Amino acid sequence: MKADRKETLRYLGYRGQQLDPGTAEMIEAIAAELEQGSSPKSVYQEYECKVNGDRIRIGSLEVESRHLAVNLKGCERAVLLAATIGRTADFLIRKYSVCNMAKAAVVQAAGAACIESYVDEVEDAVRKQARERGLYLRPRFSPGYGDFALDHQKDIFEMLACGKRIGVVLTEGNLMMPSKSVTAVIGLTTKERESCQMEKCSLCMKTDCEFRQEGEANGL
Amino acid sequence: MGFKEQLGNQLLFFDGAMGTMLQERGLSSGELPELWNISKEEVILDIHKQYLASGCNIIKANTFGANPFKVEGTGYTCEELTAKGIAIVKRAIAESGREAYAALDIGSLGKLLEPLGDLSFEEAYEAFKPMCVAGAQAGADLCLIETMNDTYEIKAAVLAAKENTSLPIVVTMVFDEEGKLLTGADMAAAVALLEGLGADALGLNCGFGPDVMQKFLPRLRELTSLPIVVNPNAGLPSVVDGKTCFHVGAKEFAAVMKEIALDGVSILGGCCGTTPAHLAALVEACSGIPPLAVSDKNRSMVSSYTHAVEFNDRPKIIGERINPTGKSRFKQALRDQDLEYIYKEALAQQDLGAHILDVNVGLPEIDEVKMMRSVVTGLQGITDLPLQIDTSDARAMETALRLYNGKPLLNSVNGKQESMDAVFPLAAKYGAMVVCLTLDEGGIPKTAEGRIQIAEKIIAEAAKYGIQKKDLLIDTLTMTISTGQENAKVTLDALHYVRHVLGVHTTLGVSNISFGLPQRERVNTAFFTMALAQGLSAGIINPASEAMMSAYHAYCALNGSDSQCADYISAYSKQEQQPKQVAAKSGEVSLFDAVVRGLVESAYQAAKKELETKKPLEVIDQELIPALDQVGQGFEKKSVFLPQLLMSADAAKAGFDAIKEHLKAKGDASASKGTIVIATVKGDIHDIGKNIVKVLLENYGFQVIDLGKDVDPQLVLKAAREHQVKLVGLSALMTTTVANMEATIKLLKEELPSCKVMVGGAVLTQTYADMIGADFYSKDAMGSVRYANELFERTNV
Repeated sequence: MKADRKETLRYLGYRGQQLDPGTAEMIEAIAAELEQGSSPKSVYQEYECKVNGDRIRIGSLEVESRHLAVNLKGCERAVLLAATIGRTADFLIRKYSVCNMAKAAVVQAAGAACIESYVDEVEDAVRKQARERGLYLRPRFSPGYGDFALDHQKDIFEMLACGKRIGVVLTEGNLMMPSKSVTAVIGLTTKERESCQMEKCSLCMKTDCEFRQEGEANGL
Repeated sequence: MGFKEQLGNQLLFFDGAMGTMLQERGLSSGELPELWNISKEEVILDIHKQYLASGCNIIKANTFGANPFKVEGTGYTCEELTAKGIAIVKRAIAESGREAYAALDIGSLGKLLEPLGDLSFEEAYEAFKPMCVAGAQAGADLCLIETMNDTYEIKAAVLAAKENTSLPIVVTMVFDEEGKLLTGADMAAAVALLEGLGADALGLNCGFGPDVMQKFLPRLRELTSLPIVVNPNAGLPSVVDGKTCFHVGAKEFAAVMKEIALDGVSILGGCCGTTPAHLAALVEACSGIPPLAVSDKNRSMVSSYTHAVEFNDRPKIIGERINPTGKSRFKQALRDQDLEYIYKEALAQQDLGAHILDVNVGLPEIDEVKMMRSVVTGLQGITDLPLQIDTSDARAMETALRLYNGKPLLNSVNGKQESMDAVFPLAAKYGAMVVCLTLDEGGIPKTAEGRIQIAEKIIAEAAKYGIQKKDLLIDTLTMTISTGQENAKVTLDALHYVRHVLGVHTTLGVSNISFGLPQRERVNTAFFTMALAQGLSAGIINPASEAMMSAYHAYCALNGSDSQCADYISAYSKQEQQPKQVAAKSGEVSLFDAVVRGLVESAYQAAKKELETKKPLEVIDQELIPALDQVGQGFEKKSVFLPQLLMSADAAKAGFDAIKEHLKAKGDASASKGTIVIATVKGDIHDIGKNIVKVLLENYGFQVIDLGKDVDPQLVLKAAREHQVKLVGLSALMTTTVANMEATIKLLKEELPSCKVMVGGAVLTQTYADMIGADFYSKDAMGSVRYANELFERTNV
């Protein structure tokens, strides 16, 4: 797992400003400290998937979401996935918030870059296994995206035994701790054409986001 | 024969998996297995009987997840499910006619403890307590705390069992590939904690199959003086068609377990994926093999929540700076509850090379218990160094020992009967190592013999509480040579005897030696080196003293404990030119440039220099504020980005610190521009954005009252009212918590209509902010500064 330096800069709001050597060095050192201290963990399981209108059933998980239904249309199988880079990012953010806010902000950004790249790695493993069976992946979709309610985190956590397997738990408000963690649904389809690799930002409805990468919302 | 007597005399066998067996009988994922104690008692009974028939002699009750959090909403109480679980095991044992023990099985609560999670230590304790009580009442023979991955949760569970039952306690944990718990704790940290707390056996379960666990065991045998338990899975889990499967068969499982048994272990059993067939093969393969010969490893260890620090031939540094004695700034910080000041002291000492931090927060005019609670909790969130709890207040001592996540070092007990009567019970209960001062009712003996006698008395008294010599750290007391030249010799003679004849580790508060003399560091350094040579195990010193740290590094290189002088070389090989460079740099840079470039130390020095010729207000108006404005505008125009803005903020803060010191020296108080309350709203735990806003607002001269994260609306109102603020800042990251932001705004508007509210956070937009009734939406940290400036200027006129 690595904190992509370009992504780290992007999360920090970097827009091609002049990057003085001191700042660049600090970012490098902090990203390295985070990478070294983190131990990423993941768990995923495949289930039968049924989509009926806006109603979706993945194993014992029942969801009503138009956005997720569109995403999973035609998928008979789906993978539930949870991943985390562990607790070090949260520890370092707490620590540097006391003595060096700039470093805390860098840990925050590098941590976001780390978890994204790690989930990509896990997804690649899922993709490889799926391909062996002639299946293709839909873009991953997480609780909280569009109308896929965050409440479903509870069910996903129970199905995957996230606490025991990867040490991630939910707070009362259904937020994940450690904070640099991701859960997602990935539809498996037999049709390569429909697996279209969309850029992550293009899935998001927040079109005025400061951090948005090129591309438009996919018209959901 | 009871479990405790049998443990260590013969190899014992736990049973195998319960969950795996239940899934085969139709337990669906997400269903609470403990409910089957009521609804399908015969199934549970049958599984227990199968394991009994396999030859297992400790049966785990089906109570793993019967804690109050997990049973909530099931219609049954934790106590009912726990008691029933034990009753079924006892029935199975009776009906099978075999001899076996019933284990109350306690698993993780499924929530994270503070500081990472939202569960406090005492809440965790309270959740484990009813399980322990119900299990003991129902007749359990022992308490198994298993599948644990957080030392803090382990401590809560062990204390709950210890304080509410007299059951023997066995703890097994899940280590990852690197031999660490999910919290990052290594094996030594876990062992130190558990031995301190008085567990009867410890070991590994779940996570891996026997082959991987086998690799961890040599290290565990080396570390622990307790019996060892090994309960592996039947290999690694893999998911086939939505079902979790384990692939190591009974024969293969038993073969590796036999190797483990031959190398030495006390109890063997199984976890996920193991079946009565696995256990039958295991019992058959291993019966007759003698158990591990348990021996005292005689290690003197304290631990934090990540690692242990062992007292040995390599002396250790205990940082002394978290202590108000003789420090007016520190005293002020305690009175103001300025915990950040204390945390900075901690981090600075860690960076300078301290191994352990002394924590003394006692002042006559403050509530020491409360302060100790806050500081120990806070420090555990930001530093992974073990803490030395330094207090003479018994209540503060117990509070800290209880909340401490690890095996603590306690400072201190002395030879007075009253002191030993008060301190040793606490040290024994919480498993602390104790600093022992060689003084008693007769004062401080003037001779080495006198101090040695007290040391012997303390050692003997500690033994009555079961506290061994390895858990004592004897301080032969440093007295200044300015009042008696023989003082150094007395201290060192006693120290040498304690370490080399009594065989107990030693400590000294080193710098007392020079009290009353000029240029104290010269004497301190020489004395420190002498003490190290006489057998000082841990020096309580100020790690900011370069001379003292040099003496330390040089000594370790000389006594052979710094292998290949590696640490000495890494500490000093690059240092030659550095001091000159820094001096040259700070000489050149103006305060304005230092802030713009984010140079903290230069900004401090430059501000001090400016103050020699200019008035403080001129320095602020002509240098600091213009520099901050330039960077702030650059940020808004996107020519400067966030880390640079924050580095400048830190530099400016250093400049302001120099000005504050200057004003204070002249007896002036600095006026704040105004007070602002900020908080991350209820339900939200992401607070970095709010913290950034805080730093910037403070830079612009506002006093910021930071209520933290997950803050109830009522608390925001209370603070706003108490401090009569006209501006409250709220942050929320998640869509789901914006509702709480709205509720907070509504409450503030009802109760304090004149108070303005500004909001910010990832999911917010101007439209959203308008919708929930905020007065201002800030898209970034500078926006909040701009709004605050405008608001306070407008209303101050």
